[in-house]
Amino acid sequence: MSHLRKRITTACGWLLADHFILVLTVVFFLVMWRIYPSMGGARNLANISSNMWPLLTLVIGQMFVLLVGGIDLSQTSIMAVTSVTGSMIMTLRLDPARFQDNPLWGVVLSESGGLLAGHVLAVPTAVILMLTIGACIGLINGLAVARLRMPPFMVTLVTMSFFSGFAIYLTRSENIMHLPESFIVIGRGGLGPVPYAMMIAFLTAVAAWTILNRMVLGRWIYAVGINRKTAVVSGVPCAGVIVAAYVFSGLCATSAAILYSARLEAGRPTLGQHLLLDVIGAAVIGGISLFGGKGKVRWAVYGVAFFVVLDNSLNKMPLNFYAVDIIKGAVILMAAVLDVLRNLLSQRSPARAGA
Amino acid sequence: MKKFRSILISALLISAIIFTCQCTRRPGEKQTVICFAFQDLETEYWVAAHKAITETLRSRGIMVLERNGHQDANRQLEQVRDAIAQDVDGIIIIPQDGESALTIIGEANRAGTPIAVFNRPPANRSRPALVVVADNEKIAEETVRYMVLAASKLERKMKPLILVGDLGDQNAIARRQGFYNVIGERPEIFEKPIEVPTKWDPATTLANLEAAMQINRGVDFIFTSSDFLYPQIRAVLEPLGKWKPIGDKDHVILGGLDGDSTAYMLMEQGFVDATGVQDLFFEAHAIMDALLKAIQDGQKTPEEWIEDPGFAITQENMQEKREDMWGYRVMAGLAEAKK
Amino acid sequence: MILSGELIHFGNITKEFFGIRALAGITLSMPSGQIVGLVGENGAGKSTLMNVLGGVFAPDAGSMIWQGRPYSPEGPADATREGIAFIHQELNLFGNLSIADNLFIDGFPRVRRLGVLKRGTANRLARQRLEAVALECPVNTPVENLTPGEQQLVEIARALGRNARLIILDEPTSSLTQNERERLFGLMNELRKGGCTLVFISHNLDEVLRMSDRIVVMRDGCVVSTGEKREYTVERMITDMVGRQINNLYPEKTSRASEEVLLRVEGLSRSGTVDDVSFVLHRGEILGLFGLMGSGRTELARILFGLDSFSAGNLEAIGRPLGGHKPAKSISRGLAFVTENRRDEGLLMEGTIESNVALAALRRRAFSRWSVWIRGGAIRERTLRTAGELRLHAADLRRQPARNLSGGNQQKAVIAKWLLTEPKILILDEPTRGIDIGAKYEIYTIMNNLAAEGAGILFISSELEELAATCDRILVMSNGRIHGEFSRGAFDEKAILEAAFEGLRIGGTKR
Repeated sequence: MSHLRKRITTACGWLLADHFILVLTVVFFLVMWRIYPSMGGARNLANISSNMWPLLTLVIGQMFVLLVGGIDLSQTSIMAVTSVTGSMIMTLRLDPARFQDNPLWGVVLSESGGLLAGHVLAVPTAVILMLTIGACIGLINGLAVARLRMPPFMVTLVTMSFFSGFAIYLTRSENIMHLPESFIVIGRGGLGPVPYAMMIAFLTAVAAWTILNRMVLGRWIYAVGINRKTAVVSGVPCAGVIVAAYVFSGLCATSAAILYSARLEAGRPTLGQHLLLDVIGAAVIGGISLFGGKGKVRWAVYGVAFFVVLDNSLNKMPLNFYAVDIIKGAVILMAAVLDVLRNLLSQRSPARAGA
Repeated sequence: MKKFRSILISALLISAIIFTCQCTRRPGEKQTVICFAFQDLETEYWVAAHKAITETLRSRGIMVLERNGHQDANRQLEQVRDAIAQDVDGIIIIPQDGESALTIIGEANRAGTPIAVFNRPPANRSRPALVVVADNEKIAEETVRYMVLAASKLERKMKPLILVGDLGDQNAIARRQGFYNVIGERPEIFEKPIEVPTKWDPATTLANLEAAMQINRGVDFIFTSSDFLYPQIRAVLEPLGKWKPIGDKDHVILGGLDGDSTAYMLMEQGFVDATGVQDLFFEAHAIMDALLKAIQDGQKTPEEWIEDPGFAITQENMQEKREDMWGYRVMAGLAEAKK
Repeated sequence: MILSGELIHFGNITKEFFGIRALAGITLSMPSGQIVGLVGENGAGKSTLMNVLGGVFAPDAGSMIWQGRPYSPEGPADATREGIAFIHQELNLFGNLSIADNLFIDGFPRVRRLGVLKRGTANRLARQRLEAVALECPVNTPVENLTPGEQQLVEIARALGRNARLIILDEPTSSLTQNERERLFGLMNELRKGGCTLVFISHNLDEVLRMSDRIVVMRDGCVVSTGEKREYTVERMITDMVGRQINNLYPEKTSRASEEVLLRVEGLSRSGTVDDVSFVLHRGEILGLFGLMGSGRTELARILFGLDSFSAGNLEAIGRPLGGHKPAKSISRGLAFVTENRRDEGLLMEGTIESNVALAALRRRAFSRWSVWIRGGAIRERTLRTAGELRLHAADLRRQPARNLSGGNQQKAVIAKWLLTEPKILILDEPTRGIDIGAKYEIYTIMNNLAAEGAGILFISSELEELAATCDRILVMSNGRIHGEFSRGAFDEKAILEAAFEGLRIGGTKR
């Protein structure tokens, strides 16, 4: 009898500890479904799915940076800059009234579109350019943090402001419409029942998982995040690892930019401006520690799932619009407090198995 | 730790249940549901519009789902998609810009939900929607024309300045165009106008206007693309001794557009010569009527482009026209009982 | 049976962690006004028992009687209130605050009004407390400026301020100088006379025997023996602790230095820390590096390993020059460095034992394909094997975090990490500090075996006895310079100590 009880307790413990957020999400969804039947509708489920993928890509990138004990505030600006530059390559038509004063008018942009308008390779070229830019900004962030020893918060805040302003400068605040159909379909279409967005997010997650669990780099990332001094003594190339984390974050932000731009059918210099709280919030809810060294890909997935389901459910309730923000903020705050408590408890305990 | 966790789950679930129980409306009668998606309420105009729309709809027994996109186009897209998934009967949006408006209209079209766009028009008419928009260009023209009349009485060459709105906003572009149209008619009394960008942001306005006034001391003719910037204009002109009422030799001819209560008060005090008025109540009612009719008729992708001709309220016609000015009505505490 | 005059009585206390039994039915009493020496290997259960007493853990079974009443604290605060003070090995002081602030950090009503510290009263009381422990220091000195010995006295002063009747001292002497040790012992005697009971946990059995009135020996979670001081000798304590006769504290030396030079250091200097250091390390040799605290030994080790740079001199490892290098390069050349402080620099405390052990050797072909793809199976297997060889006992190497290991096991994990890199030159900085007899013996054995297999070992230590027992040669460092070299067979304690004191600044020991 007690053997069975032990089994159940350990199963519950495992469930609670590692997959806690997933359980919470499912339970929450079921409760909400009971109260608001439309939650289980096909359309709503499709919405939940479609909202998850770009956010998941961002959170996975942010997770890498959080793991090495940093933070990447510039993800939103990377999204803006890449969205805009990619569109400038791809766009098929531009309204002269709006773009005449643009610094690149006549050089890259013209009335018949962007640099490679109509060309069969326009979209792939644009995507490659976007990824390169995203990686470069990540490189700048990483080098500043690793080599110049500047605090990550400050570095990424500066790059965020700079590149956000740069994106607005490049477009004079204009959104770039008329993107080719082959690009827009990424936001809406799919291969059979599987949306392209989901495939991109899935690939990102698989890549992240492979790095963290199967590659030497993954072990190094955790080591640097848990204790940099020990990592240094043990021969880990800390600077390189940190740079790699920020570059990965930049690439993820770019993927998200592709998904959001396709969704909104335009390159936007203000893309993702308000997403940072969602990204960090989802990461913390999933259990990824803001202090570094703690996080798994599936936690990112669970955190994003919970966040998106929560957001979705709040949209069902006829609440005042400020109440929605209050609730979201409260949930994120609770998750952050939990993270701090967990950290404190583990630091303080002189717990040693029989010293 | 495990204890904490279980307390946390229970607390979350309980609070979720409590919250939703308070807010649930048991589905008994089939009520019309309209989603109203807007973008922050930063000026008096938007506040008044929000109030007009929500109160009117609710007074007719319609359930209104309010969604604030917080100036994020993506968020608004998600909110509208969500509303569609909830099978709302109709959607009214105040979009962030013309491009996102098009995208959102596309979503509504595909789902067959009638959609209405308030005041900020979509970038083009390629997708069917109900749109109400003020003829900003014409209203601006009318306003500036009156200002030019006042200027020509002064018999000197005027130095004009225009505060331009965020050029991502169609309305801002139209207002600017109206201004230039009229100024262009009388090149002999106007020097080349100075353009000050505001991005619809008070702080930016303050900074840029101050800089412009420093360089061009003799500015005596100012048109602002929106009345909500009057406080900033005052803050810049007053220290320079240029904040003077009509009749004073240092009076700067001042005009704007929107028609809020500040504009009315300043006109009463004689600081502002004329202001263009968007007929807010007309616009709100027109769009609501059109949408409700479309819902009733079972139209899935209704299309209509409603123009609000608006008018200019000037020192001359103030007394008779003020009842039509929404800013005056807001100030006087009158409900818009007129329509 | 509870006798009067007993301060604390443990009745059948049991405690389990991760399926490992830390305490297996402990029944024990301690009278008041005595010093009780508590000894045992790491893993014997000493700290766990004290943690139960101090309210950090609740026992799984059993009861405690404190001053004649049942006692079951729900947290350390309860224990403190009752008058039990726990002076940990790692001190719990706030470095940047002053002595006075630390003493009254949890506030006495007399000293606080409306939550604000009354400076005058606090300082006056603080001075009184410091007098009680014979510490002469201005009360507003920031605690981080004090020596470990002085910090310890501040902690004891704080405990006394809370009217402690029982004070647990966990490894109090490991980072103290000789003078500070004597001062502490004097204080302990004073406290005992005043009716306090002191629980003295230490691996230094001579000291325990000297200071204690009663001795308690633990092994594997049980009390193996207990009695008055006169019933014990150091040998008996060791036998009871280990469960078998250990004839020597040190293994038989089978390694021998050869002629081949593994490490050649010439004129190595780094401004402010190391000055013109030259020596060689041979294959199969155990080279000791002795010196007082602050003599520059750790700094030298850091330079050799590449953590710090050097401004002058030459360094040659296995025939090839080495300079401007980083730890990764040192490791690939065959160097390894077991640092002084395993918690800060040696281990990833939150990481699993396996991830710690694999960390330095990840790039090797055995553990990763093309230095990129982890060979999980190989790592797991090798970790298991090495842990077995080092007698590193843990419930689950793959999932247990390193912070749950005892001090000795933690040190073994660090050594395991370096063993995986198959080093030819192994630098060990105070490897046996804070570790029990049994584990120490094992570490000496490891050193001997490694040297016998052809590695060169640089053994940095402040304990002359262990150096004398294990090394082929001993270098003495003082003030950043080498002041003496002694060969096996000519280890003259007096001369070595003199060399260690040479070259010190006028006015006392360099801190």
